[in-house]
Amino acid sequence: MEFFDCNASYGIYSVPPYKRADSVDVLIEEMEWCGIHRAMVRHAAMIDESPIVGNPLLLEQMKPYPNLEPSWGILPPQTKELGTVQELMSSMKENNVKALWAYPAKHRYLLNSTTFGELLEEMTYRNIPLFLERNESCGGNEWAVTADFVLKDFPKLTLIVVGHGSWGEDRFFRPLIERYEGFYIDTSRYELDGGIADFCKTYGPYRLLFGTNFPRTPMGGAMLTLMHADIKEDEKAAIAGGNLERILSEVKL
Amino acid sequence: MKNPSEITKEFVKNGLSEICPVIDTHTHFGPGQGIYFPKLTPEQMIDTMDRCGVKYIISAPHTALVDTERGNMVAAGLVTKYPKRFKAYWSVNPNYPDRIAKELEKFEDFSGFVGFKFLSDYHRIAITDQRYSPVLEYANKWKLPVLMHTWGNSGYDGPALVEQVAKKYPDVIILMGHSGYGQWDKAIQVARDYPNVYLELTAAYSVRGAVEAMVEGVGSEKITFGTDLPWFDPHYGIGCVIFARIAEDDRHNILHRNAERLFGS
Repeated sequence: MEFFDCNASYGIYSVPPYKRADSVDVLIEEMEWCGIHRAMVRHAAMIDESPIVGNPLLLEQMKPYPNLEPSWGILPPQTKELGTVQELMSSMKENNVKALWAYPAKHRYLLNSTTFGELLEEMTYRNIPLFLERNESCGGNEWAVTADFVLKDFPKLTLIVVGHGSWGEDRFFRPLIERYEGFYIDTSRYELDGGIADFCKTYGPYRLLFGTNFPRTPMGGAMLTLMHADIKEDEKAAIAGGNLERILSEVKL
Repeated sequence: MKNPSEITKEFVKNGLSEICPVIDTHTHFGPGQGIYFPKLTPEQMIDTMDRCGVKYIISAPHTALVDTERGNMVAAGLVTKYPKRFKAYWSVNPNYPDRIAKELEKFEDFSGFVGFKFLSDYHRIAITDQRYSPVLEYANKWKLPVLMHTWGNSGYDGPALVEQVAKKYPDVIILMGHSGYGQWDKAIQVARDYPNVYLELTAAYSVRGAVEAMVEGVGSEKITFGTDLPWFDPHYGIGCVIFARIAEDDRHNILHRNAERLFGS
């Protein structure tokens, strides 16, 4: 089984994780220690400084590692800090960036059609996935409310929420899974006993993506949980990496 | 995978280890507030134990954390039906102090209970409050374990309060549930300074680097494994421990040896 982590980051955070991963080398070393083959990465500077800083920094630092896929942060197109929507698309094409992250609380914007209508339409058309951290609120709303709002307006968008609460959030995310075909969650904190198997029994394996939440969470927990979940091997393979591979392969830059 | 551990290799290959069994010192049972559990029955929990190589677990049913009279009898039923797979903590709710004396008498009537369980953050009464005294005095007299939910900087069960209790009741074996989550340095200091205090790993294992820091700061002889089952898949916690940068002996100590010493094999 090949693991492709959809939820890994590194860099200098304003409040660092308990065990730091200041450089990309730390991430690579941990992947090799655990046996994780590939990872989609974002830079701490994109989160705790600005996508203006973190997006290019990531590309520069990950160059030596072909098993890392880049992902960028977004800002409201109206301020043109990342250029117009078309300019952002061109830049993504030029740098082979196939996924974007929203941090509405940290970067102080509303993730909705008023602010991001043009970008979200373009992302829907191009099958570009949008990632959202579970802890990012938006205008005072928790992630599930934000996801529902966004997907009501853009039901074909691929929206992936990562790091959902370890204390059980099936009651929040299952209704979204049922209503929106492009809604996914990662397994980095899906620690619920029997959760993956129960989810797959109802919805199949195609809406779960393997993630580790590195560097805040050890990689081994999510790995071992998926390796021995009570599901078929092909379902495990889909979650471990096949689903993310498919999502990225469908992106039209 | 560059991790050379034989225990890790076994878990990766088979989902369990013949050389390193697991004892789960922090579990629950039955429906609980705020969460959907797919595996609720004792038989489903035993299925999980079998899949993960868990010899036995020590439970405090969710019901017992609210209505102790009803819930501790649920625990009694579990340990009676499956004595090799379930042991239990006798839960205490200090908001009903009138029940405690009577319940301590009942505690003696049942086998299979290994100690007591406090959930002070949720009950909103500090572990230093006198309402816990009868139980702590009893546990001190009989050298019994108490699994305390502990959380960093909590005014109900933070590590600094655990220190006060540990000092006052030196013969109570205190398991710091969640290892004083978030206030790691203080929790480590308390476990290091007091021979009767242990760190228990539920949820704490999911903080990268925490297991290594505890092993370095306290020694793996003072750490027990737990999962809050049926909340968390044991494979998640086991994965965090076996992939931590610690020695093979540390993995044995955490996953089973310490619990065998405290609770039997």
